[in-house]
Amino acid sequence: MSLDQAEKGRRTVSAYIILPSLFGSALGLGLLFGLFATFIEIKRGNGFSALIAGPWIGWPRSEVTEIDPYSRAILAYSGKRSLSESDAMSFVALTDSSGTRLDSACDYVLTGAIPRARYWTLTLSTPAGELIANPAGRQGFTSSEVLRNSDGGFEVRLSRHARPGNWLELGPSGKFILILRFYDSDLSSPATVLDAGHMPSILRDYCG
Amino acid sequence: MNFVDRLLGTFLWLLSVAVVAGITHITTIFGLPAFMEQNPLAEIAARTKTGEVTLLPPPQADRPGLPFTDPAMVQAICPFDLAEGGLRLHAEPEVDRLLALSFRTSTGQVFYSMSDLAAQQGKIDVVVLTPAELEAVESDDDEDNPTQDLRLIAQDSKGFVVISALAEFPSEKAQAEALVKSVSCAVEPLAEE
Repeated sequence: MSLDQAEKGRRTVSAYIILPSLFGSALGLGLLFGLFATFIEIKRGNGFSALIAGPWIGWPRSEVTEIDPYSRAILAYSGKRSLSESDAMSFVALTDSSGTRLDSACDYVLTGAIPRARYWTLTLSTPAGELIANPAGRQGFTSSEVLRNSDGGFEVRLSRHARPGNWLELGPSGKFILILRFYDSDLSSPATVLDAGHMPSILRDYCG
Repeated sequence: MNFVDRLLGTFLWLLSVAVVAGITHITTIFGLPAFMEQNPLAEIAARTKTGEVTLLPPPQADRPGLPFTDPAMVQAICPFDLAEGGLRLHAEPEVDRLLALSFRTSTGQVFYSMSDLAAQQGKIDVVVLTPAELEAVESDDDEDNPTQDLRLIAQDSKGFVVISALAEFPSEKAQAEALVKSVSCAVEPLAEE
């Protein structure tokens, strides 16, 4: 075999094996990384349009504010699209104020400031957005129903066992979420600035 | 192949991985909402009679319904098809009861929403029209006697209205239902000149 033939052979290998495999691996790895990035963002992220105040995450109403593609994808994936397409400005809490996942084995107290709105409602629900069955048949409170202190503040107790005052019975199902909806509020305006101090805090009592 | 060639080759390979990853990521993020779900309300609207107010079953525990729906709200749906005319919606909200209206495209996207706070003299009158219909209606307008209707433009001829009222207390469910049912919502042919 002459030197010339060897060079030719190397070129053939390069053309038929190395180049396509380089091309293929770039394509494959690229697809993999791209999908992985999407997956992580959808699973863990909140998108750029989310309003975060303590444990509460809210999405502006889609007809008031243009929602970014990330938030849109996250809302669609988690089935929460109806929250941004609702008449209310909605906030969801998956954790208590310390960041621990809400669990029906524990008692919680929801108290503190609440943004001004014509009406608000607080709803207890499963992470998938369904209501939780309980013997009391109470799934939440409206701003008119909730019993208030003399200073206008309020306290909602979440527990599996009967509690005095505003009591929401937790189901046996384990994980749950809380949804706060504000009707006729100005929270949806793009200029809204919220921090944890404006929203009720969710304090864990004891677990048992 | 010398060292520089190799370096350049590796760089180009990494660059193409990054480009493919970027394209994949962006495409999936943008494509996901359309791929993931049909809006549940839009599905109901497609199965419901047009030009009529139909109450939606209230969300209940242990029964799969519309996820993330406020149990304190009584909801009804009125699908419309503007092919035969404009949609006229008339409501007379009660004092101190939240009545919310949201006008949506056939895929469920909200294009306009309002509450009873927007009522004039205790009445809400909305007409939903296609751009062509609006032009026809406006050309017939009497300038001395302007209309009190709120005119909305729907880009597609099909869509639906979600009408909801708040029951502040569970005992007010029936009143909220009555309010929602009192809303009239019908497609009417445009007035002929």
